[in-house]
Amino acid sequence: MSGQARPPVLRLRGVRKAFGSELVLDGIDLDIYEGEVVVVMGPSGSGKTTLIRCIDQLESIDAGAIYLDDELLGFEAVGGHLRPMDERGVNAQRRRMAMVFQQFNLFPHKRVIDNVTIGPIESRGLARADAIRTARLLLERVGIGDKLECYPRQLSGGQQQRVAIARALAMEPRIILFDEPTSALDAELVGEVLEVIRELAREGMTMVVVTHELRFTREVADRCVFMERGRIVEVGPTAQVFGNPRSERLRALLSELQNPIAQDVDVGNRRSLR
Amino acid sequence: MARSPLPVWRLITTMIVIVLLARMLVFLIQTPNFEWGVVLSYLTFPSIMHGLLVTVVITISCTALSILLGTPIALCRLSPVLALRAMGGGYVWLFRGLPALVQIVFWFNLAYLLPRISLGIPFGPVLYSWSTNKVITPFVAALLGLGLTEAAYVSEIIRAGILSVDRGQRDAARSLGLGAWKTFFLVIAPQAMRFILPPMGSQLIGLAKSTSLVSVVATSDLLFSVEVIYSRTFEVIPLMLVACFWYLVIVSILFVLQVYLERRFSQGREESRGWGPAWLRGRQRPAVVPSVDLG
Repeated sequence: MSGQARPPVLRLRGVRKAFGSELVLDGIDLDIYEGEVVVVMGPSGSGKTTLIRCIDQLESIDAGAIYLDDELLGFEAVGGHLRPMDERGVNAQRRRMAMVFQQFNLFPHKRVIDNVTIGPIESRGLARADAIRTARLLLERVGIGDKLECYPRQLSGGQQQRVAIARALAMEPRIILFDEPTSALDAELVGEVLEVIRELAREGMTMVVVTHELRFTREVADRCVFMERGRIVEVGPTAQVFGNPRSERLRALLSELQNPIAQDVDVGNRRSLR
Repeated sequence: MARSPLPVWRLITTMIVIVLLARMLVFLIQTPNFEWGVVLSYLTFPSIMHGLLVTVVITISCTALSILLGTPIALCRLSPVLALRAMGGGYVWLFRGLPALVQIVFWFNLAYLLPRISLGIPFGPVLYSWSTNKVITPFVAALLGLGLTEAAYVSEIIRAGILSVDRGQRDAARSLGLGAWKTFFLVIAPQAMRFILPPMGSQLIGLAKSTSLVSVVATSDLLFSVEVIYSRTFEVIPLMLVACFWYLVIVSILFVLQVYLERRFSQGREESRGWGPAWLRGRQRPAVVPSVDLG
């Protein structure tokens, strides 16, 4: 956790979001600092995915505020009042973040290389040649350097998700948001995707990762957030949250690791949790 | 080539088809009333060629009109703005609900309702006006009647196509900071085309044939030109065959166009070649990966 003295990259204050009568986010406060990896965990329906979709402005928030580098997201001050930003302003803010989706969401009608260059060319306005050069390097970095001209459907799930990570990196984002990046993958493909994320963490990329992968969390996350029913019930350094879980749900989740069914998922954790 | 598990069935099916085709051929040749000689002599008759041209022009203009009008109507129906959704829905309800024939006759007789057509600001000054009878020629009536009906159907096809594209695609595009237009034209539309083209092909083939309706307002289309001749010579069947021949030619061209466009927009997808028992489907060809130089 470096750079605590500097202002956080991302700051959430009292964020609320309801779908109809259901309150999905109920007052979220969270700061994310430069170079930090924050993992968000929680049972399904706890609002993890909605949280990062709200950060990327794929959902609007009903109350509270989100700041990226001290800039309010989605609203601008006009004559002392806050007004929702127009699309152009929102897109300019989105360009400074990137998101990796659970279902990859690669563009199936575009080749791998075009999936990675579409953001730089069409959104950031880079020259085609420069975008291709960068995209090649990024794809090599995630281990897909030999599949530039393939279509996404010709790749395995793990390869597709790595292309999606390269597509996110091509935006040169301040922060990358991962929405359960390995949940749609076959068990044997999870490792290769987590390894890429681990590598990004080592390089100091600021990331928010929604995941159920506990061992990955313990190894990579600087801080850990546990959500339940739209609230953050636990937040702190990973070792502290894992070592001394206060909430009932988290304790239950962590103790599942000791149970034989979860054994092959997370063997490494069992000893340390005792 | 993969061996079929039951080659005998393949053989029997083929035999049945050949026998039926042979019988059909004998019927076509041996029935004197088809008068193939007459068919041949009228096939490229000048007035029929002119009728063919009119039919082709109406087909092309109505296709253009239906796509140019149908796309914004589809987008209206998908809009978050209630007024636009209602307008789009109302258009489809009205123009899909009225028979094309009724519309052609209505537009042709518009002068009874509005003697003059004027262009101006609603509830404001009139900028220009025309005599309705001069504007609404039989050709224009045909174009309006068919084109407006077609636009209603086409808008539904386009709307279905857009809805078929996974929501995650829009999320991914927006997440990259692409604006609404780029998201639509670079991400949504190319994928929607895959769902739009097959029903659109049928729709436009239907349109090509519906153009025969315009003969009721004395537009000299293909059917009308044929009718003019046989009402004089009474060679009804051979002249109908001439019309059939040319309709099939138009439809075949449209069909080839559809196949070409479907290939063009199926990039990145391995389409299955069909379903059913292996001996009916025949040999499966491996998908070919197009290779493009990155430069």
